[in-house]
Amino acid sequence: MKIFAESASTFIAGRPDAASRQLAWTGFERAGLPQVSDEVWRYAPLGELDLDRFAVTAAPIAAADSDFASELCRRAGLVVRVIDGFCEVVNSEIEGVSVEIDGSSTSLSGEALSARYESDTFSLLNAALAPATTVIRIAAGTLVAKPIVVLNVTHGSSSFPRTQIDLGRGANATVVEYFEGGADALVVPLSEYQIGENAALQLITYQRLAPSAWHVARTTGFLGRDARLRQAVIGMGGHYNRSRNDAEMLGLGSENELRTTFLGSGSQVHDFRTHQMHIAGRSHSTLLSKGAVADDSRSVYTGLIEIEKGAKRTDARQTNHNLLLSPTAHADSVPNLDIRENDVMCAHASSVGPLDELQRWYIESRGVSRNEAERLMIQGFFNEMLVTLPLELAELVEADVTSVLASVRIVTP
Amino acid sequence: MTSTLTIEGLRVEVAGKEVLRGFDLVMSSGEVHAIMGPNGSGKSTLAHALAAHPGYKVLDGSVTIDGVQLLELSATERARHGLLLALQQPMEIPGVRPIDLLVAAGADPTNLRERMNDEARSVELRPEVLDRFVNLDLSGGERKRAEMVQVGILRPKFAVLDEIDSGLDVDALGAVARRLQRATTEWDCGVLAITHFRRLLLELVPTMIHVVSGGRVVATGGPELSAVLEKDGYEPFRVTNA
Repeated sequence: MKIFAESASTFIAGRPDAASRQLAWTGFERAGLPQVSDEVWRYAPLGELDLDRFAVTAAPIAAADSDFASELCRRAGLVVRVIDGFCEVVNSEIEGVSVEIDGSSTSLSGEALSARYESDTFSLLNAALAPATTVIRIAAGTLVAKPIVVLNVTHGSSSFPRTQIDLGRGANATVVEYFEGGADALVVPLSEYQIGENAALQLITYQRLAPSAWHVARTTGFLGRDARLRQAVIGMGGHYNRSRNDAEMLGLGSENELRTTFLGSGSQVHDFRTHQMHIAGRSHSTLLSKGAVADDSRSVYTGLIEIEKGAKRTDARQTNHNLLLSPTAHADSVPNLDIRENDVMCAHASSVGPLDELQRWYIESRGVSRNEAERLMIQGFFNEMLVTLPLELAELVEADVTSVLASVRIVTP
Repeated sequence: MTSTLTIEGLRVEVAGKEVLRGFDLVMSSGEVHAIMGPNGSGKSTLAHALAAHPGYKVLDGSVTIDGVQLLELSATERARHGLLLALQQPMEIPGVRPIDLLVAAGADPTNLRERMNDEARSVELRPEVLDRFVNLDLSGGERKRAEMVQVGILRPKFAVLDEIDSGLDVDALGAVARRLQRATTEWDCGVLAITHFRRLLLELVPTMIHVVSGGRVVATGGPELSAVLEKDGYEPFRVTNA
């Protein structure tokens, strides 16, 4: 790990908050890269991960946006550009919305990042190596009409974007965190969301990186009283796509709806981890994870619902459905419940299987070709995930999923 | 041009048991043929075998439309050759809208939604039901009528209706019968209606009625046969398979 470590050391030394970054880096070095013997990493192709293939990007590399990114930005009320983790200065023209570039290494929880994420190797890397934190503040009572797009592009061999979104009391906004680029790169985003009392954030995390990228992402929502976080996570790209999505329901009556979607092809690995923490009473969480795996790809979904003692009248639901599109694809589903309170409603369900033969026959018997019938069914499978997207984005995302599907080979029994 | 559907000596096995045992029928487009018979006589097996349902194994026989052998074709190709089955229990297809299914099936997308709405209204189905995913959250009667919308849009040479009348109230049944009757002139549709009930045939006038028992046609006649069935039931026609 010489090349990567040297570039990291140079990068850290040149930053104003070098001391706190060094703390995170030391934590990373102490922990080292995870091993497949660690239960939570057992599905990752860690043997292929050599950090010396990457170097810390010292300055953003300019390049044109993709057509898709341009289309997305055209639909936005505000675009925040983050290139190789470096946020470009943006003057928000939306009243009540500000974008700041924050050099401190503090979590929205108030802790130092190196302390908060001390047991998470990749988050420690982000704490040490993100150029700064992009902070989007939405003032109390602000209702943002059009989506805010955070355009994350990776041109270098690594990027460590860090985003914090802070909604004041009663604020309401839609934010798209979009990721592209990342050919042969390591992309390690770390995002946090503070949703104040009675505020609502609709969040779309859209990962469309190059098929050779290593993507290890983590998001955490902190929900205040009666706050709502509706998060859709769409994972299309990456050689290894890991997405950890946590929500801490800290306020009474808070609500978290999480929908994670992925489509695996080639030899991709999609590794989804979720953690719904019900700390306050009357909090609700609904989790729906749906993914399809084709070719030799594989997926794992591991979800934990944790209900603290005293979080009475909590309602938590977790559903995971996986579609196998080839006999050599594989999906694992590992739902977990940890309940320390009796007065709760909790449910989970999961399934893994190929396309339904009789449904396919029914469609074919109307004169639809097998190929078309299967594509209709797979699109239908994803439709449930896409219907909740804001209208101006749904069409774009749907067309994107359709075009990716068109290139996937479907082999059914 | 008149088309002809010819079924000869059709033998079909379901779950290891031979249910159709040499079924014969010839009909032309524009005609209405009713297939009647007791439970277990093979009526639904005929419908499913014609549409290449994967659970039904054809052992022998021939099914042709204008000389084209359908039994060698996939479900898709059979539909493209003009055969459409309206199912007794159509499948739910989550996430797929009826309009997208019809476009994939080759329906002309011009004014398609309006035409679907018209078809829905003609069988007393609320058009809003067609906003839902295919057959999801529909009652039994609504599903039957949703199948009729597909028939009306896709305009097959031969529509096979598997107990389209079950689950429909008298008014809806009349509307479905009238729609089918109209289809016989509108695009010269041949209607092969499998039914338990004579009531469907009050407003859908059969050219021929075929009584099925033990996997074969045991009696064929004009509309007058329906009155005999009404009076005496299927018992006089029952055959027992050794």
